[in-house]
Amino acid sequence: MAPTSSRRLVFQPNSYLSLQSGAHQIIDAIAPTLGPLPRITAIDRILDERPPEQLDSGGMIAKRVIQIRNRDADVGAMFVRDFLWELEEQEGDGTATAAVLFRAVFDEGVRHVAAGLNARRLHAHLETGMRLILSDLTDMAQPLKGRDAITGMARTVCYDAALSDLLGEIFDIIGEFGRLEVRKGEGRGLHREYVEGLYWDKGVFSREMITGSPAVRVELENPAILISDLKIATPEQLLPVLACAVQNDMRRLFIVARDLSDGALAFLLANNRDRDKLQIVAVRAPGYGAEEQAWALTDLVALCGGRAFVQGAGDSLRTINPDHFGHARRAWAGFHSFGIIGGRGDPRALRRHISDMRSAYDNTTALVPRGKFQQRLGKLLGGSATLRIGAATGSELEARMELAERTANVIRGALREGILPGGGIALLHCRPALLQLAKSAAEVEERAAYTILAHALAAPARTIAANAGFDASDVLAEIRQSQNGAGFDVLRGETVDMVAAGIVDSAGVTKAAVYAAISSAALALTIDVLVHRPQQSGHAEPRSPGHRKQL
Amino acid sequence: MWYAACQSGLYSSADGGMSWHDAYATLQMSQRLTIASVAVSPAYAHDQTLFAGALGGVLRSTDRSRTWSVAELPSPPPFVVSILASPNYPQDGLVFAATLEDGVFRSWDRGASWASWNFGLLDLNVFCLVASPDFASDDTLYAGVESGVFRSTNGGRAWRETAFPMELGPVLSLSISPDDSADHTLCAGTETNGVYRSTDGGESWTPAGLQEKGAGIDHLFHWQRSPTVVVMLAVTHAGVYASGDAGRSWRDLHAIDVGSDTEITAATLDVQGVDAALLVGMSDGGVKRLPLLVDPM
Repeated sequence: MAPTSSRRLVFQPNSYLSLQSGAHQIIDAIAPTLGPLPRITAIDRILDERPPEQLDSGGMIAKRVIQIRNRDADVGAMFVRDFLWELEEQEGDGTATAAVLFRAVFDEGVRHVAAGLNARRLHAHLETGMRLILSDLTDMAQPLKGRDAITGMARTVCYDAALSDLLGEIFDIIGEFGRLEVRKGEGRGLHREYVEGLYWDKGVFSREMITGSPAVRVELENPAILISDLKIATPEQLLPVLACAVQNDMRRLFIVARDLSDGALAFLLANNRDRDKLQIVAVRAPGYGAEEQAWALTDLVALCGGRAFVQGAGDSLRTINPDHFGHARRAWAGFHSFGIIGGRGDPRALRRHISDMRSAYDNTTALVPRGKFQQRLGKLLGGSATLRIGAATGSELEARMELAERTANVIRGALREGILPGGGIALLHCRPALLQLAKSAAEVEERAAYTILAHALAAPARTIAANAGFDASDVLAEIRQSQNGAGFDVLRGETVDMVAAGIVDSAGVTKAAVYAAISSAALALTIDVLVHRPQQSGHAEPRSPGHRKQL
Repeated sequence: MWYAACQSGLYSSADGGMSWHDAYATLQMSQRLTIASVAVSPAYAHDQTLFAGALGGVLRSTDRSRTWSVAELPSPPPFVVSILASPNYPQDGLVFAATLEDGVFRSWDRGASWASWNFGLLDLNVFCLVASPDFASDDTLYAGVESGVFRSTNGGRAWRETAFPMELGPVLSLSISPDDSADHTLCAGTETNGVYRSTDGGESWTPAGLQEKGAGIDHLFHWQRSPTVVVMLAVTHAGVYASGDAGRSWRDLHAIDVGSDTEITAATLDVQGVDAALLVGMSDGGVKRLPLLVDPM
């Protein structure tokens, strides 16, 4: 298209047609990925000559679609891409469900507006209906408990039996907040290991503190721990610490500090020579930035007892006494990390500290602080897991690691918010209430909204059945005739109790998909005019959502 | 066979406590080893297996204490205060060791090797362990700790807090009703706050008596007196109490002479058909057999 210097406007009915055209193009690429028997979408690479990327994740596909040729349709495509991207960032799953739901609501909505209904009133009633659906889903949710259930949950996300088994075992142990690191492994298999205690990615100040150890780390038993973020500039600052330790028979000293001058370090090393008398290990204070360091010190004190000496508060080591030291059963340090096992602080204080953090986590919607709370909680829970992933090729490894991370996030959400019968069944269960409301609705837009939603809620189940090669209408008829809670297992080709069969969806993901789809479709129905700016080369990445919606 | 864990070692008796013998003599240790806990396999009659907890390790015998193997626990040496063999031990080989400062150790190979499994165990000062009677299917066990009660539902690989109020701890003893699948009753004996009961896996707790005693409930038992009657027994350092109404009222069964210097330091339930008794170890090294009265409670 030739560059233009003036804006171009598109009015109804072309604005709706354009939105639909673009939305359909992107959704038609995503819809085949829904369900346990997905189709693959191949996306040509722009920057190099490698073979097309083969994707079966709606979220990844949405991110790859940068621009489509027809600018009018491009608006629709980018509108859909935007809310799917945000959903993917927030939940890691649910984009294909949201996409087909959006299409069903929007297409029906367009027909009704074209027939004369008021778009604004329809929008308001669609939002009301959406809230009813979310409430029903919340009531329907069951807790996710036990290794088998977690494994089943994982399988519905990643469709990788080996990965699901390991993630099921891992999360049954570490729980929703537990720390999991996904790393590259050797060979092609999957391996997991569990690490006792907690650790941070900061190491010793001097390799001499490790010299002589058989391993690449030093370990102290029953150490006294100085917890600080102090910049220790002179050996004189450390004299009271060592004096207090020696006078109180503390033979193992673990010092946490932000910085040690060469002189201070030399002083410690000189006093470290006779390790039977006094063994000293000094490590860098954990955290990057003042706020993170402050949190880390708070957590260390909760775990080990004692008190923190804080540079910003003007704390000095001159007045140190034995009660100021923390204690642990073991502390270890290597070149790049250090850890604590068996902190000996007051367990009640630790439990209250963790409880406060959990409350803070629940009460914040901002994604970054939530992530920080999750990391801190994961550390304090007494251990962590590492999942090592192997693969035949680099790209397979990358894809499998991404899949593991995404599945882990979904599992966490499901552990927090519960599970629903999968296969689109939970959404089907919300239909009768909407149809009932439609019968008693006073306004024509209200009746239309509930009817649109009731019909749209069948879209995910239809799509799953169709993707697996079944006649969607036959499948829905079979489900209608079955017991409550029964759905259609497309892998086995029969109706089953979905939860009992382990075919479940995360309640949080499902609700987020419903919210994203319906609120976006309702909003799109109110778009009357498209305004094109002069030609631009492409679209920017959507901003990070920043906040997690409380649904 | 009776086994008694003492400060001076482990002793066994084959004649109902009339005479006692050094149970780990074959280890030929130069110094006496304090044994803080002893437990037998639920299939002892068949596998003759018992375990003894000490500072830094767990001893295992598979021939009624004739010979022993020693499994060292990782340094610094943990002090094992309680050992629990899984109710399903013949099949799963699981054994658990509660320690004073290092949480819970778990063995999956009948005590040959051990590892600490403390995920979610926010309080590593563990005094007691109890397993669900349906452990084979529900993998559930509970730990009594300084600040309350923790629960594991995956065979001891991870722990979660229960709602036991922290201010009521430490919890020194735990007992589960033998009919747990029906009444879901878990009882916790505290150091100074009597007995508490939960019927929902620890989600909520109610007082179950002996609050006024102020004495530590060192041991708790559920005694299936008859198919329809379960009696709770609570043992303190100075006496034994019984309740036939789930803790609503308690009877003083056996009071120790308060003028004496001896205290009850250990206890176990000995049920032989209709004859039931409490075996109690005393601080003076003695062992007494306290019959449990048969009259209705």
